[in-house]
Amino acid sequence: MLLTTSVGSLPKPDYLVNARSQVRKGGLNAAQLRALEEQATREWVAFQDELGIDIVVDGEQYRGDMVAFFAEHLPGFKESGLVRSYGNRYYRKPIIVEKIRRTKPVTVEWWRFAQRLTNRPVKGMLTGPYTIMDWSFNEHYPSRRATTLALAEVIHEEAKDLEQAGAQYIQIDEPAISTRLDELDLAIEALGIVTRGLRAKTITHICYGNFQALAPKLMKLPVDQIDLEFANRKFELLSTFKRMRFTKEVGLGVVDVHSHRIESRDEVITNLKKALQVFSPEQIYPDPDCGLKTRTPEEAKAKLTVIVEAARAVREELCGVR
Amino acid sequence: MITTVVGNFPKVAETGFGTKLRTAIDRWQKKELSGAELEQVYEEVTRAVIKEQERTGIDLLTDGHIRWDDLVTPFAKKVDGFEIDRDLVRFFDNNVYYRRSILHKTPVRKQPMFLADYLFARSCTTKPLKVVLPGPYTVVSLSEDRYYKDERPFLRSIAEILNEEARTLAQAGAVLIQFDEPALGFGKPPIKQVVEAINIATSGVKAKTALYTYFGSLDGTLEALQHCRVDLIGVDVVSDPKAIGAIKRLKWTKELAVGCLDARNTKLESVVELHALFDVVRKVVPQDRLYVNPNCGLEFLPFEQASQKLKRLVEAVRTYRSP
Repeated sequence: MLLTTSVGSLPKPDYLVNARSQVRKGGLNAAQLRALEEQATREWVAFQDELGIDIVVDGEQYRGDMVAFFAEHLPGFKESGLVRSYGNRYYRKPIIVEKIRRTKPVTVEWWRFAQRLTNRPVKGMLTGPYTIMDWSFNEHYPSRRATTLALAEVIHEEAKDLEQAGAQYIQIDEPAISTRLDELDLAIEALGIVTRGLRAKTITHICYGNFQALAPKLMKLPVDQIDLEFANRKFELLSTFKRMRFTKEVGLGVVDVHSHRIESRDEVITNLKKALQVFSPEQIYPDPDCGLKTRTPEEAKAKLTVIVEAARAVREELCGVR
Repeated sequence: MITTVVGNFPKVAETGFGTKLRTAIDRWQKKELSGAELEQVYEEVTRAVIKEQERTGIDLLTDGHIRWDDLVTPFAKKVDGFEIDRDLVRFFDNNVYYRRSILHKTPVRKQPMFLADYLFARSCTTKPLKVVLPGPYTVVSLSEDRYYKDERPFLRSIAEILNEEARTLAQAGAVLIQFDEPALGFGKPPIKQVVEAINIATSGVKAKTALYTYFGSLDGTLEALQHCRVDLIGVDVVSDPKAIGAIKRLKWTKELAVGCLDARNTKLESVVELHALFDVVRKVVPQDRLYVNPNCGLEFLPFEQASQKLKRLVEAVRTYRSP
């Protein structure tokens, strides 16, 4: 019960950030970068292992952003010029220029690498078809629906390979799922294609959302666990769950990833206990609200530590009561 | 047919005027660049995007909203009574984010807000240049009201502020003042109050006025918008293809601006496609009362594709022979 995990990305250490910019300038080759990515992955897996996080992630040290990474590895995508996301932040939004193909696994090798480093289960981390579609330009497929369904088959292949390799947990992130309410059913249909026939535990992470619109459909999401940001919404989401019959597992974001402030252990304990009034201990997987990649490594470590300590304290209390 | 753009333009152009602004803002945030130096870069890039529009052959230009992070916060930052929130919120149905403006006391416009920007932009070109402001309903929809806690007085006060600003800009010579209301495409807008607010905003403004809608669907609201006291209404027929039918069924009394290229996707429209669309709309509104433009601001596209789309639009208008 109260198995701890994290959402996916972890911050890159300075040496890796510098190396990535060196590669762009031609000062470092791919093999050198790869070695540093492996080093950073080793460090993050070791940290989670020692801390006692129950379900480990590889930290995505080798990914730029969650859509671009897949676009870079799937033929059919082309890189675009810069577009602005907010403030002074820009990214390269992939362009779908022909049929998307998966000529080889995209994430399996890194998953294997991370899993060899720990006895704890490592989560497979995928980006969902609806989000990849919504965050790409499309010059090939006739409609948003056709694009999403084509991507769903590709991501399904990847999920099957992760399972084959031994992944017990596979997370398919769909932060864009509630972007267009008239496409919610499409997003759900596509997620169903991805998780079709999988025996691994499946999870989807949703953020930035119009949660109220999504709430009535939560039980329809074809996954075992839904991971949501509770902390930055001051746990107001709990009241929605109080009013519904919710039998899936819940990834419970208990620390705010947008804030530098490190939550106190007591505060997280209090919030976990609030959640226990709505969910059973077996249903709850405490984790950060979202990927921690925007925090400093120190902040991320401190936040993860608080989660593990708080979950441990509540677990002990629950067992004692029993 | 008059070719125009809706508002914003890409702020960086790897294959054009460069990425200087991105670096400058970054350095300014790190305090390596002074406010005055950043100001210079803003002006330089504004001039570049105006020149880019001129080069493309667009008839009615904008300043490209180079200083605007989004449609509402630059306005809210200049109004006393708003604070800008910390968290990022999705901008309608786009993978683009903004920070919500929070109203906590009576909003007051203390001085002209965009006059200096307008005067600078106008000095960069001899072509007509319009000013683009957020519409009152979009300001209210994207903000959080902790003061009135009631939409109607909030709408009215924002409309009054916009009106003061529009009058100032018109006095300074702006030929057209445009209010953008993307929020009208979502949910159920309180249409009577919206019309009332837009009429406050345009009241006594001695310039041509426009109301631009884009994104979502205008199901049922287009007819009511005919009651707005504006000269021109912009409709995005890319996001909502059904809008074409709605326009045809209405007795269209205003000038019409048709958003006919998809500024949210890189796929380039063909001249043939555009001509077919022109054929349809010119039956509703005669060509001399017709504007054509991308369906929304061009900033969702990389510079290269934004520029290609504008060229395609100009080419389609130039080669169009009405049947």
